[in-house]
Amino acid sequence: MNDFAQWLAGTQLSLAIQIHLWIIPTVQSIHIVCIGIVLASVFMIALRVFGWSGRDQTLQQTTRRFCPWLWAALVVLLVTGALMVIGEPVRELMSLSFWLKMSLILIGIVIAIPFQLALSRNGRNWEDDLMNRWTTKSLAILTLLVWCSIVVLGRLIAYDHVWGNWSLRPIV
Amino acid sequence: MDITPTLKAIESSGFATWIRDSLYAFPLIESFHVIGLTLTFGTIAIVDLRLLGVASAHRPFTKVAEVLKWTWVAFGLAVLTGALMFITNASVYFSNAQFRWKMLLIALSGLNMFVFDRISGRNVRQWDNDRSAPPSGKLAAVLSLILWISVIFLGRWIGFTTTGNQTPDVEINLDDLFR
Repeated sequence: MNDFAQWLAGTQLSLAIQIHLWIIPTVQSIHIVCIGIVLASVFMIALRVFGWSGRDQTLQQTTRRFCPWLWAALVVLLVTGALMVIGEPVRELMSLSFWLKMSLILIGIVIAIPFQLALSRNGRNWEDDLMNRWTTKSLAILTLLVWCSIVVLGRLIAYDHVWGNWSLRPIV
Repeated sequence: MDITPTLKAIESSGFATWIRDSLYAFPLIESFHVIGLTLTFGTIAIVDLRLLGVASAHRPFTKVAEVLKWTWVAFGLAVLTGALMFITNASVYFSNAQFRWKMLLIALSGLNMFVFDRISGRNVRQWDNDRSAPPSGKLAAVLSLILWISVIFLGRWIGFTTTGNQTPDVEINLDDLFR
């Protein structure tokens, strides 16, 4: 992986990102704006599952309101994230936080897709029944925790030393 | 009045020193700052987009605006964690241009909210069910979105313009390149 990161750091695109010092902060800021959209969307759906917010809306209406924004923001996150990896390959790829984050994103998406599909297929009665189950509520909490952990791990990429000996960062 | 001695005293306090010296405190505080600020921005954006008629347009505005109580919780988390980061390097942050602009813009968005409450909020019953708010409400929404997105950009720039706990990432890459 280190070899790949070194190779990537030498590519034209990577060098361009490295030379223009404003690119990384700008891309990171756009990344954070989109994290805001994703996290708030997940938060609103979780609040609806618990009946703490938006009770005038069904769960299906709530997911219809937020899922398109969530997926669109995720695409922008993927693009800006990729730019950060290209611009700073060693910093990103040689960090344990980065790979833990990627794994959790997979888990977050794997939870979200069946949930969204099941909701769009089924009717109102099914939905009320669903929200009364403790498994649904635990899944909502789990999802929120997964996405919050993704945010924390994302920030920890800058501080891979917190992992001590587990850090993947080459010793400078 | 010279504030420098006060800032220096804050920096050298036991608590600030503990955060600075800990391997984990600052990164974790910063992470929770991101959670707080993203939820603040995200939930405010929900209300702003409703004012503009872009999203949730079929719901009464006052119903959508109920989310703002959660915004305050998230904002509280962002302020608390922000203050904890500030005390670790108070004099540097205080004199940092991006930090000052950020604080100004947060104050302006508070003012924007206050003015919105006074003008558009007064007759909210008349437009509560409309697809979008009257022009003054739309203006407040646009200002709010611009201000908060700018706050995010400025906040990120603080990390690149202060030499606090963050090492400039660029150097690491350049070193690796020429090794």
